[in-house]
Amino acid sequence: MAQTTFEGSSLGVLEALRQLRRQAATYQGIWSWIATVDHKRIGIMYAITAFLFFLAGGVEALAIRLQLAVPEGQVLDQEVYNQMFTMHGTTMIFLVVMPLSAAFFNLVVPLQIGARDVAFPRLNAFSYWTFLMGGLFLYSSIFFGGAPNGGWFGYAPLTEKAFNPGHGIDFWALGLQILGISSLASGFNFIVTILNMRAPGMSLLRMPVFTWMTLVTSFLIIFAMPVLAVGLFQLSFDRLFGANFFNPLKGGTPLLWQHLFWLFGHPEVYILILPAMGIVSEVLPTFARKPLFGYPFVVFSGIAIAFMSFGVWVHHMYTTGLGPVANSAFGVSTILIAVPTGVKIFNWLGTLWGGDIRFKTPLLMALGFITMFVVGGLTGVTHSMVPSDYQQQDTYYVVAHFHQVLFGGAIFGLFAGIYYWLPKFTGRLLDERLGQLHFWLMLIGFNVTFQPMMILGLLGMPRRIQTYPTGMGWDLWNMIATVGAFLIALSILVFIVNVIYSLRRGQKAGADPWDGRTLEWSIPSPVPPYNFARIPVVRARDDFWHHKYREDEAGRPIPVVAGGANGHEEQEGHAEHIHMPSPSFFPLIAALGFPLIAYGFVLADYALVAVGVVVLLFGIYGWALEPASE
Amino acid sequence: MAQRAHVAEHLETSTGLDNRKLAMWLFLASEALFFGSLIATYLLYRGQSQEGPYPHDVFNIPFTSVSSFILLMSSTTMALAVGAAHRGRLHQMRTWLLCTALLGISFLAGQAFEFTEFVHKGLTLSSNLFGSSFYVLTGFHGAHVSVGVLILLSLWVMAARGRIGQHNALNVELAGLYWHFVDIVWILIFTLVYLLDPLAGGGA
Amino acid sequence: MHGRKSLLAYARLLVPLLAALLLTGCNVAIDTPQNTFAPVGEVARDQRHLFFLAMWPAVVILVLVWGALLFALFRYRHRPGAPPPKQVHGNPPLELAWTLAPLALLLGLAGPMIGMIIEQADRPSPEENPLQVRVIGQQWVWRFQYPQYTDSQGRPLEMVGRGTEPAELHLPPNRKIDLAIESIDVIHSFWAPRLGGKVDAIPGRVNHLWLVAEQPGEYGGQCAEFCGLAHADMRMRVIVHESQEAFDAWARQQLARQSQQAAR
Repeated sequence: MAQTTFEGSSLGVLEALRQLRRQAATYQGIWSWIATVDHKRIGIMYAITAFLFFLAGGVEALAIRLQLAVPEGQVLDQEVYNQMFTMHGTTMIFLVVMPLSAAFFNLVVPLQIGARDVAFPRLNAFSYWTFLMGGLFLYSSIFFGGAPNGGWFGYAPLTEKAFNPGHGIDFWALGLQILGISSLASGFNFIVTILNMRAPGMSLLRMPVFTWMTLVTSFLIIFAMPVLAVGLFQLSFDRLFGANFFNPLKGGTPLLWQHLFWLFGHPEVYILILPAMGIVSEVLPTFARKPLFGYPFVVFSGIAIAFMSFGVWVHHMYTTGLGPVANSAFGVSTILIAVPTGVKIFNWLGTLWGGDIRFKTPLLMALGFITMFVVGGLTGVTHSMVPSDYQQQDTYYVVAHFHQVLFGGAIFGLFAGIYYWLPKFTGRLLDERLGQLHFWLMLIGFNVTFQPMMILGLLGMPRRIQTYPTGMGWDLWNMIATVGAFLIALSILVFIVNVIYSLRRGQKAGADPWDGRTLEWSIPSPVPPYNFARIPVVRARDDFWHHKYREDEAGRPIPVVAGGANGHEEQEGHAEHIHMPSPSFFPLIAALGFPLIAYGFVLADYALVAVGVVVLLFGIYGWALEPASE
Repeated sequence: MAQRAHVAEHLETSTGLDNRKLAMWLFLASEALFFGSLIATYLLYRGQSQEGPYPHDVFNIPFTSVSSFILLMSSTTMALAVGAAHRGRLHQMRTWLLCTALLGISFLAGQAFEFTEFVHKGLTLSSNLFGSSFYVLTGFHGAHVSVGVLILLSLWVMAARGRIGQHNALNVELAGLYWHFVDIVWILIFTLVYLLDPLAGGGA
Repeated sequence: MHGRKSLLAYARLLVPLLAALLLTGCNVAIDTPQNTFAPVGEVARDQRHLFFLAMWPAVVILVLVWGALLFALFRYRHRPGAPPPKQVHGNPPLELAWTLAPLALLLGLAGPMIGMIIEQADRPSPEENPLQVRVIGQQWVWRFQYPQYTDSQGRPLEMVGRGTEPAELHLPPNRKIDLAIESIDVIHSFWAPRLGGKVDAIPGRVNHLWLVAEQPGEYGGQCAEFCGLAHADMRMRVIVHESQEAFDAWARQQLARQSQQAAR
C-alpha cells in the first residue's frame, strides 16, 4: 500500500541518516562537514563560501570598471551592465560582508565567552546552509533569463512586472528572502548564546568588545530584516499575483518601497560595519599591549549607534520631495549619529597612545580601517548637510562614501580578523611579508580606485550609468579608478597565495601567538572540538591577560610564572568526558526546501512549491524529533 | 533520549531564562516588526483606494466579531493547556491542546469563508489598494495561525504517544507564547482594520 | 627596524597622496558641463557653500586625527628594551569631552542647514514672476513644457529628447524657474548640477524645485535615478539665453515650428 511504502521509505531514509550521523561524529570525511553542528566548522564554511562570493563580486567590479574606463565604452551592453552592478552590490552586501561577519561570530564568540558551542548548534548549521542555498539560488538566475537588473536597492516601479517582465527581479526578491531567513536564525542564535552561555563570572561588561558588537549587530538583524521581508513580499505579490502595493495607476506609491527598504537599509549598514569595528577593538589592544581605551564608551557608543540607526533612514530619500520638515528632522538625526561613530575613533587612538606597538599584519589592516573609515565617516557628514546632498545624492560621491566605509572600513577590518584569528583555527600563522604586501597593495589600490570617485561625483557624474560621453571632465578619473581596481585584484591574489602557502608551510602558531588578552588565546590552536577542557571562571575583563600578567605600582604588566596558555594547555590531559551536540542532516534538508519553494514561485510551478514545503517540513520535523545529542 | 533532553532543559544559563524561551521571545519581537510593517502599510493606504470595493462594502463586523471571539477563546484554552502541562495533568493538557487547535481551525474556516465572500463581492488582491493591503496582512496572519495549528496538533500527537509531560512542559509553554502573540496581532488587526473604518465614518 | 620601515613608508605614501588630492582640489572650478563646483546659479552656489561649510572642518579633523595617529604610531612603536606600557583603561572626563565637542560642532552646522532647506523648499511667489516649467520624465527622454507659452491651438511649448539626443531646456537668465517634476513610468531624477541639486520625478506625485540661472551659456544635466536600460542616455542640454528677450524670441520661433508640425 502507498502508505506503508511512504512510511517504509521514510524509515529507510531515517535509518540511513542515523548511520551517516554516527559516521559524521568522528569528524572524518565529507559527511562530517555536511552534518556538522560545530560552530568552528560552520564558521570555516561561512568564511570560504563568503570568500568565493567575494571573488565573484570582485570580478563583477572589474567588469564594471573596464566598461567605465573610457567614455562610450563597449565592454558591457546596457542590460548586462545593469545586471553587473546589481549583482555586485547584492553580492558584496549579502553574500560577502554579512557572511564573513557571521564566520567570525561563529568562530570567535563562543571562545570569547568561554562556551563550548552556540545555544542552538543545529540552527547554526541551518543558517549556513540556508545562506548557501540563497546565494546559489540568486546566482542561478543567470540560467533563467538573466540576473536581476534593478540595483541592489530594487526601487519600484522599475522592479515591477510592467517594467521588468523577466524572472531576474523575482530571483532577487526571493533570494533575499532566503538570505534573510539565514540572517534571522543567526541573529536569534547569537543573542541567546551571548546572553545565556557566558562562562561563570563573565558579566556583560567583562565581555570582549567583539562579542558586544556581535550582540548589538544581532539585535539590529532581528529588527531590521523583517521590515525588508515585508517590502520584498509586497514586491513579489505585485509581480507574481497582481497586487498594487507600488502601482501608481491604482494609487500605490513607490515611496512606500523606499521607506520599507531604507528602514531596513540603514540599520543594515551598521550591521555591516559594527562587527569589523569589534575586530579593530580586539586587534588594537593586542598589538599595542594596552587595554582598549574607554571600554564602556566604546560599548555604549555601539548600542547608541544601533538605536539611532532606526531614526535616520530618510537621509536616503532627501531628493524624493518629502518636504522641509522631514528633511530637516532627518538631517539633524543623521548629523547626530556621527557622534557615537566618531567617538570610537578617538578611543582607538587612545588605545594606541602610550602603547608598545608591533606592526604585524592584523594591526596594519586595523590601521587601514581607522584611516579609511575617518574619511568615509567625514564624507558621511557632508552628506548629512541636506541641501548639499541634493547635489551629491545618486552620484559617484556617494559611491566613494560607501566604499570608503564598507571597503576601507569593513573589508579591511575583516581582513584584520582573518590575519588575527586564522592561526587560532588552523594552527598556522599567515606569512608576515606576504601579509604586508597584501596590505599595502590593497590600501594603495583602494585609494587609487575610490578617491577619484569623490571628484567624479562633485564633477556631476551620476551613479549606475552604463557609459558617459567625453568632454565631461570624467575621462581621466575613471581611467585612474579602473587601474586602482586592478591593483586591488592583485592584492587579493597575494592574499590567496599567502593562504595556500601558509596552510601548508606556515609557521606553527601555538595557542597564543600574539600575546592576546581574551579567552580564545588560552586554548590550543587548532581548537579541540569541545573548546575548553574546563570552562574557565572569569574574574575580570581581559581575564586571560590577567592570568599572564599582574600590574606593578606604575600599572605596567609583569609576567606571572606559568600563567600563560601553556599552563592552560596542561589541563588538556584532564579533559572530562565532555558531551557535545551530535551532527545532524536535518538543517541541510530543511534548508533545501527554500530554493525549491522559491523556484516554484518563480516558474509558477505550484507542485514544486508543494514539494519544497514537504522537504522543509520533513527537515523541521526530523530536527525537532531528533535528540540534540546521542 | 528523554533523559538527555531533561538534563538539557535544566542547564544553567547566565540570565536564568531557558535558551529556547529567550529565543521565542526574540522571535516574537522580530515578528512584531514584521506585522508592524504590514499594518503600517495598511494604515498608509487606508482611504487611498481609487476604486471599490471599499471596506464598508464588504465587511461583516458581526461575523468577524464572532471569529475574533473564537480566537480569543483559543488563547484561554491554550493557557489552560500550559497550566495542565506544568501540573502534570496530561489528560487535561491533551484536551485543551486539541480544543485550542480546533478553535484555531474554526477561526481559519471563518477567514476562508469571509475571503470567499469578499471575492464574490469583487474584492481581490488586484482590485485596489484595500484589496492588496488587506489580503496580504490578514493572509500572513492566517498563515501564522495555520503554523500554530500545525504545532498544536503535532504536540497533541506527541502527547498522545507519551512524549510530552511535566518534564518538558516548556514545549507547550513555547507554543503558548507563539499562540498568544498571534492572537494579540489579531486584536490589533481587528481593531485597526475592521473596527476603525466604520468608526471613522466609512467611505473610501 | 621593521616597525619604523613600515611607518615611514606609510608616511611617505600618505603625504604625496594628500598633496595630490589637495592640489587637484585647487583647480575644481573647471568649466565642464555638470561640475557642481562651477555653479552658475544661486541654488547651486548656496549648496556648494554649505558643502564647504562641512568640508573644511572635516579636513581639519582629518588632518588632526591622521596626524595624531601617525604620531602615536611613530612615538609608541615597539623598541626593544623599552618598558611595557602602562595598562591605562580610559579617561572618562576626556572621553566625555571628545563626545560633547563634536556634538556641539555638528549641531552648529544644523542651523545653516535647516535655513537653507526651508529657503530652497519655498516655491517662488507670484510676485517673483517665475518661469513655469513642467518636467516630465519617461523612459528614456526628458520632456519640458512651458505652460505660460502656448501655440495657436492652446498647446504649451514643448521640448522633448529624441532617441539619444538630449532634450533641450531653454531658460532665460536671472529669473526664478519654478519646476514641477513628474514621471509617467518609473522614478527618474531631474538634475542640472550647475544650476542646483536634484529632485526625483516620481510617478503619481508632483515634486517641486526652483532654480535660477545667472550666467548665459550651455550646461549639462541628466537623469540621476536609475531608470532602466538607457538610464545613461537620458540627458539634457540646459541652454541659458542672453536675456529674457532672447528667450522670448526663441520661444516664439519654437511655438511657430510646433504649430506647423501639428498642422501637417
